[in-house]
Amino acid sequence: MNSSRVIPTDREVSDPEVVARVLVGDVEAFGIVLRRYEPGLLRYATRMLGHPDAAADAVAEGLVRAYRHLASCRDPARLKSWLYRIVGNRCRSHLARRSASDISLDDAPPLPDMSDTEAETERAEQMALVQRALETISPEKREAFLLKHVEGMSYEEMAEATGERIPTLKMRVHRARAALLQALKEYP
Amino acid sequence: MKHIDPQVHRVLDGELPAEVLTASQREQLAALTRAAEALSALPRASVAARVMTEVRRPPESAGRRVARWLTERHAVTISVRPIWSLALAVVLAAVAVIPGRGPGPILGDQEGIAQFVGRFPGARSVDVVGSFTDWQSGAVVLRDDEHDGIWRGTVVLPVGQHEYMFVVDGERWVTDPLAGRYVDDGFGRQNALLFVRPIVR
Repeated sequence: MNSSRVIPTDREVSDPEVVARVLVGDVEAFGIVLRRYEPGLLRYATRMLGHPDAAADAVAEGLVRAYRHLASCRDPARLKSWLYRIVGNRCRSHLARRSASDISLDDAPPLPDMSDTEAETERAEQMALVQRALETISPEKREAFLLKHVEGMSYEEMAEATGERIPTLKMRVHRARAALLQALKEYP
Repeated sequence: MKHIDPQVHRVLDGELPAEVLTASQREQLAALTRAAEALSALPRASVAARVMTEVRRPPESAGRRVARWLTERHAVTISVRPIWSLALAVVLAAVAVIPGRGPGPILGDQEGIAQFVGRFPGARSVDVVGSFTDWQSGAVVLRDDEHDGIWRGTVVLPVGQHEYMFVVDGERWVTDPLAGRYVDDGFGRQNALLFVRPIVR
């Protein structure tokens, strides 16, 4: 008889299942968490900190911390918000340590590669422009805008990821939109 | 700050369709949507390998953790009231001008010793510049030998009054908060004042 075992893909395994597997000692199952959330977390940290190396440190430290404290994730169905909260805290610590005088040319977004196509170069320039405008607004507003409009979170998810109340977050998002629009006008 | 009509916020929050907006409101909506799209590009880098290497490492035994804790440096933060900071500054200033009994620099009649201490956690370098260096950096370089963010340095200076500032990481000029006496530098900041007294032999 020919029998075959069906191995579920990453997409078919829910977050609570992944968490349960890791908690019983399946270290490799944490790779599913990374494949699922690491790109978004890295994007979020990069936009928050404006520096890819600092963002990589914040995300790596945050994810290792998440792995070590996975048992304290009270609601594994909300793993995403929990991970963003940990990485968000790492970003806040980094921003608190870094004074304004530490900002240097090294912090500028990377220039587009010469081998990139014209469209990619244009996209990179547009991204650099928006990133520059984003860095002129306060970290709280920046965080609110990114979680809402870049990471696509609902206000409920944002409240879980930041520990703030929904009305506070709504106000921050509204102010972030206005501040970003103003900054974009000033950096045409 | 640029004003955004509440209708635009409601559209962005998914409460209303974009069709309800006027032409100028749609421009605001388009600008914010374009900004969000530009920021949505995913970075090419990944830290997955770094994270997996760390999580695959076997957990440290309790004994090893204790041994590591006992042999590692630990940062200790002490919060003090400003009055105690000033008292500390007075003590340090007194120590700075008291002649040492052990081996040390041979001082002339019109020379004294000044000790500089500053707390700059995370700094890569700290210099002292002042009237005694013609405000040029590099002559009085402080050291953080304990890696605890406390930068120290001792220098022989001519007797008399000197103005100085700390220069952190070669670019950030910081007034010594523990100096006790200050003078305007003419550029909107304050230089710290230092009085060097002759050694009583």
